[in-house]
Amino acid sequence: MKKLLLVALSLGATATATVSMAATMNTDPEQSSQQLRDYFKAKYPTINIADYKNGAYIFSADKMSQWEAAEEFPPYLDAIDAGEALYEKDKATFDKCFGSDITKVRVKFPRFNDKTNQVETLEGQINKCRTDAGLKAYKWKKGPIAQVSAYYAYNARGQKINVKINSEGAKKAFLAGQNFYVQPRGQFNLSCAKCHTYNAGRKARSNILSANLGHTTHFPVYRAKWKHLGTLEYRYTGCNKNMRAKPFKVQSTTYKNLEFFEAYMDNGLEINGPGYRE
Amino acid sequence: MLKSKTKQLLTALAFSTAIMASPMAANAADKGMSSVEAGKKIAFSKKKGNCLACHAMQGGAMAGNIGPALIAMKLRFPDKQKLVDKVWGKLDLQVPNSMMPPFGRNEVLTDADINKIVDFIYTL
Ligand code: HEC
Ligand code: HEC
Repeated sequence: MKKLLLVALSLGATATATVSMAATMNTDPEQSSQQLRDYFKAKYPTINIADYKNGAYIFSADKMSQWEAAEEFPPYLDAIDAGEALYEKDKATFDKCFGSDITKVRVKFPRFNDKTNQVETLEGQINKCRTDAGLKAYKWKKGPIAQVSAYYAYNARGQKINVKINSEGAKKAFLAGQNFYVQPRGQFNLSCAKCHTYNAGRKARSNILSANLGHTTHFPVYRAKWKHLGTLEYRYTGCNKNMRAKPFKVQSTTYKNLEFFEAYMDNGLEINGPGYRE
Repeated sequence: MLKSKTKQLLTALAFSTAIMASPMAANAADKGMSSVEAGKKIAFSKKKGNCLACHAMQGGAMAGNIGPALIAMKLRFPDKQKLVDKVWGKLDLQVPNSMMPPFGRNEVLTDADINKIVDFIYTL
């Protein structure tokens, strides 16, 4: 009994010892990024930073081998084919917006547009490209939008995330995203950071919590739970609901800033989308 | 004779204090369930307490490990009211950046439910 109590107490203590990050959250993006890497290096010294692209699976050898097996014949292959067909259909339009080298598109996003003073995401620009050319916008969240995005991601596999912050506006968008990330909200008083930074690697029931480092590398994602591909911002709405907080609209300024922040933190990690998740 | 009378009196007292402590007990809990049993049900329910999402607790399957295991609660909280306040989410008992939801303060659970949960975890 005494031993059990000690274990319980020390677990409680680690839960409280690892929480100093939000207080020291930086106003310099580069420093924030370095700090996050240092934090995860200290928390999980045996895990390479590059491996964070594989999400929660890096924390469990069992789940990792199940996932690797699933990725050998992944359920998203049909969706990539569907994305290719959609791309071919409106190739002239897409190529005019993004260039005809399909391997060079995914890596440009998300980016900050100083003229509109807004973050541009791949999905947002796919639809803008369509409506500018008089085509119908795809529905957000899943279906064609995720399939075309997955097609571009698939063709960019192996390249590294490279989000640039070169202006005050871009920095502001990053900081707004960072702020959203650490701010508790909703009935449970949770923040993204509580789950995906301070408790990354721990279990909520039997779900292992992924680290935010690596969140954007493999999107859009085919989730077994959804049985289809979904975009990153669609995933955000799910997590906001789990926090019993009102989700924002996908491609709202709030979520675009959050995506910009999350993607900047992933700089240097390999693009491995689309990915498969439980 | 005297002995059994005292016993009766004591039971009556215990009964009425239980009612007073949680006036909702009669309608909220399933019929005939003790406060401890009702508390266990709420604590383990995914829709209500969902304490197992984060805490290992005796008798609960597939617990998470975000928070400390809930054991030896009497030792940890000799003052039972402090345990109620902790689960309720009193500000001076909050750990910065903790995932522990303020169940009473944010109206996730009623005070009656929190009292029952505490009756239950006080047995752990
Ligand atoms: C109550 C805990 C909790 C909170 C708070 C939370 N999430 Fe999650 N999130 C999860 C769980 C559980 C999963 C599924 C397992 C995993 O991959 O992490 C998940 C998955 C994700 C994923 C997919 C990861 C992957 O590898 O595919 C992203 C992205 C994400 N969350 C972002 C966020 C953001 C942004 C916020 C804040 C708006 C947030 N989450 C808040 C629990 C949480
Ligand atoms: C989302 C995660 C989460 C959920 C759900 C949760 N807790 Fe916690 N709890 C924690 C964490 C993390 C701590 C440690 C830090 C702290 O004290 O806030 C904690 C601490 C506690 C403590 C103090 C333990 C000690 O020894 O100091 C008690 C008691 C407790 N929780 C009871 C409960 C009860 C009862 C429920 C369900 C009604 C519950 N918790 C649900 C995360 C959670």
